[in-house]
Amino acid sequence: MKTIDEVLLDWEAVIGLEVHTELTTLQTKMFCSCAFDFGEAANSEVCPVCLGLPGALPVPNQAAIESIVLAGLATGCDIMPDTMFYRKHYFYPDMTKNYQITQGPLAFCMNGEIELEVSGKAAEQRIDQQGTMPLTSEPDQSTSQTEGYRTKIGITRIHMEEDAGKLIHIGGTDGRITGADYSLVDYNRCGTPLIELVTEPDLRTPEEARLFLQKLRLIYLTLGISNVSMEEGSLRCDGNISLRRRGDQQFGTKTELKNMNSFRNLHDGLEYEICRQAEVLENGGLVRQETRHWEPATKRTIAMRSKEAAEDYRYFPDPDLTPFHLTDEFIESIRARLAELPDDKNNRYVEKLGLPLVDAANLAGDPQLSSFFEAAFATLSDNLANESAVSELARPIANLLLNDVSAWLNQTGTALADALFTPSGIAALVSLGQDGTLSSRQLKDVFAEMATSGKSPTEIVEEQGLRQVSDSAAIEGFITKAMAANPDKVAEYQAGKTGLLGFFVGQVMREMQGQGNPRLISEMLSKRLDEN
Amino acid sequence: MNNLIHDYPKLSIAEIQAGLAAREFSATELAEAALMRIAQIDPLVKSFLEITPDLAITAAQGIDQAIASVSAGSLPEECGTLAGVPMAYKDNLNLTGTHTTCASKMLESYISPYTATSISNTLIAGALPLGKLNLDEFAFGSSTETSIFGPTHNPWDLERVPGGSSGGSAAAVAAGLATATLGGDTGGSIRQPASFCGVVGYKPSYGMVSRHGAIGFGPSLDQVGPFARSVADAAAVTDAIALYDPADTASQHTSVKMTDYLTLGVKGMRIGYVPELLELDGLTAEMRRADEDAMQRLQDLGAVLIPIELPHARAALAAYYTIGPAEAFSCLSRFDAVRYGYAERNASNLTELYERSRTQGFGPEAIRRIVLGCYLLSAGVIDQYYYKANQIRTLIRADYQQAFTICDAIVTPASPRAAFRFGEITDPVSMHASDIYTVPVNIAGNGGMSLPIGFGDKTGLPISLQIIGPQLVDQNIFQVAAALEETYDFERLAPMVLEELITPMSLEGGAA
Repeated sequence: MKTIDEVLLDWEAVIGLEVHTELTTLQTKMFCSCAFDFGEAANSEVCPVCLGLPGALPVPNQAAIESIVLAGLATGCDIMPDTMFYRKHYFYPDMTKNYQITQGPLAFCMNGEIELEVSGKAAEQRIDQQGTMPLTSEPDQSTSQTEGYRTKIGITRIHMEEDAGKLIHIGGTDGRITGADYSLVDYNRCGTPLIELVTEPDLRTPEEARLFLQKLRLIYLTLGISNVSMEEGSLRCDGNISLRRRGDQQFGTKTELKNMNSFRNLHDGLEYEICRQAEVLENGGLVRQETRHWEPATKRTIAMRSKEAAEDYRYFPDPDLTPFHLTDEFIESIRARLAELPDDKNNRYVEKLGLPLVDAANLAGDPQLSSFFEAAFATLSDNLANESAVSELARPIANLLLNDVSAWLNQTGTALADALFTPSGIAALVSLGQDGTLSSRQLKDVFAEMATSGKSPTEIVEEQGLRQVSDSAAIEGFITKAMAANPDKVAEYQAGKTGLLGFFVGQVMREMQGQGNPRLISEMLSKRLDEN
Repeated sequence: MNNLIHDYPKLSIAEIQAGLAAREFSATELAEAALMRIAQIDPLVKSFLEITPDLAITAAQGIDQAIASVSAGSLPEECGTLAGVPMAYKDNLNLTGTHTTCASKMLESYISPYTATSISNTLIAGALPLGKLNLDEFAFGSSTETSIFGPTHNPWDLERVPGGSSGGSAAAVAAGLATATLGGDTGGSIRQPASFCGVVGYKPSYGMVSRHGAIGFGPSLDQVGPFARSVADAAAVTDAIALYDPADTASQHTSVKMTDYLTLGVKGMRIGYVPELLELDGLTAEMRRADEDAMQRLQDLGAVLIPIELPHARAALAAYYTIGPAEAFSCLSRFDAVRYGYAERNASNLTELYERSRTQGFGPEAIRRIVLGCYLLSAGVIDQYYYKANQIRTLIRADYQQAFTICDAIVTPASPRAAFRFGEITDPVSMHASDIYTVPVNIAGNGGMSLPIGFGDKTGLPISLQIIGPQLVDQNIFQVAAALEETYDFERLAPMVLEELITPMSLEGGAA
């Protein structure tokens, strides 16, 4: 089989995604008041409604409707004021009614888009950058090598639906129902609120697909509507892939790819499927319209079922439920709740707070860390005189969070929410560094102590007598001592080997047990050495 | 009170409450009398599928205890508006701990784990639950002949059907087995059997009574409603059950009490009638004569009769027999032998389990509608039938809206004819055609009532007039019905052939 890069020279991949997200942050199911805590005993979180018992009626969960409207507003969708729930029929034992309540041609959210920024190596995969915007500071000179591109991915719709239960097949092979001795079913998941986002077939490379899903995940995370965990299955993604010769307008036959339960699997599954289809087509074959299953272990896709005779789900408006009307007031009240989106946050960090591009992106990409950052920044930012002062404060806070704090959280496996240090503590720590009280070395030590003991930085400084010495008279004494102890090095320095300055700074710092102000030591040292 | 077994069926709800207040009888005595009467008469009528003496007696004892706490001549505050009223319920309404069979093999052993809002509202109001009543299988039918437990007999002539699908609910009231009952009406299932059995049967406007817990087959058409021997009793039950229910998204907030509209008279009311509907082929002459006489009486009472048109009413049956089966196919999908209900144990795989269980578990009329609905909703067909039927629905609804701009109520026949004999109508199309007067009302979503207006001058069987109100203005129906009812004087209780044989006996059996 050819590599993806070879294939994409001749073929254009056309990819659309269907993304299911469980609204895990809600308290109750979609159409009843059962809780949906996972890990409860099987069939313990059920009631007549989610069990589909005869006569029980569904009642939509208001908070779920709010969540999907948030998702729609955050992805530029039009919010449809008048929609209906539909029934989608198919028989399977994990279904309690043998139809799923979902939405019809009109979903709550229609016609949105998400802009992707593709840079670096990921950008190289897209041969034809038609319809994209180059990612350069001066777009007019884009004929030369660009850093990447921006492209808009259309969102067809986001609709609301309910999840099915879980089946476990005992005996037989492959854990499938065919050939199993018996099957067990747990209806706890039945009726869990799901939103399904469907994209236009606008994606062209596996990298774009991965970036899209990552960005969508970040948006949902920011909105707080789900924990969006691919591992736990609260974020699930299927792909539709077809190929066409470069320059062709007509779409080829597509396959639907399932079981891509990580960002890596999404990328690798799509990549494999693109290469497989290219091989079929180049050998004169035809791609069959079918559902395929990505097997991460063998790194290939296998056919599950043919879709040539499309299943007839007999969609029709659910007569149990009256048509749904969203008032302007409701939609506006949700819009007012819309949190700052990752793109806007990123721009603000760069433009208003003067953060470096990479720091801004990393912070904006982590909702918890960025809100911690904002809280820390807010405790200090009241009386800032000008923009440069803002930047001087924002940068070290971001730096501390993205380096020392993140590293410590990773090493100890602690969640930021569980950490003992607070935003105001971190702000105070950064202040102690800024006003010269602590050296950068001391600052790290104090942070480590804060993280383990939960004490405030001032407490720690007091207790341990950690105070950066900026008293020039005291430093002068250590300098004299260091020069006296190394006359040969002094001579070498004065003969022109000025690189020895660092050696002297180190000597002085060691004598001062790390508590000296390094900038001051350096300044005073070079002055003294030059004098002699 | 030895004669209670004979007398209690003649008591109105108001008389029951007065009797309880005056300590003439206790609620427990009422419950026992009702249960004994059922034990002796129902073997002929066959209206009950399950009798619930424990529930009835427990409820009655609760009421008696409450009554004992206040002085004679009054009822305590906590006694509701139906305190001590013996009631029974169509067996497609869930009542915790009782079988809810829908008269189908599919649910023969199904026991409800929850109670329908409509039933629980009657229980909160103090009703005594006597049991569950026969119906056509899953309410598919107009005669109770499709019940797997066998048909119910019309108390006025045991050789005839009681109508359907709520035939058990109508017959139990006519035979004096219960003071009031609840049924359900998707296309006439309350009004047609009420007409056949000579009792008041009322289908509320869509949204007035909660559908929660009612196992309907057409949720966009279904409404639960009461059967009673008088308009006043029907109004009392309606006031108890027509309450907003957050468990049903179609439920409406209404604060109107039907019992406030019973003595207002009809002077000056504009009452529409549809000349075209009186000319239909199937309408019997005695029915037409009786209906025209009733209209004359309304005029004599001071109402203004206005001829109106409902141009699309003729298309209602076609729309109904499209929307109904489509929704039925979908609603009945859940009966798959996986969780509850009839299961064919010898299936060797999942598909076989589904196919065999459903083929065995459903009767022919249910299968006919499921298969039809499955076809009507399939791709390429749904636009032609289901969506077209909904367009017709819009037109019919507009017809009624238009009509109610010039009148306050509409009267039509309730049924083309009086009760027919068992086996007399076997062709499904003819059976379906007997719903011609009632179906358009469900399609439009308005309320409608069958009001007994005596007996056919040819058959001697009960006949009725249908009174239809503007949507959610059902008080107009009660206002017209109460005034018209007062002009008649005839026996509401069927003269049961064995009435003289009924003797007081202890609940344990044996004559006292």
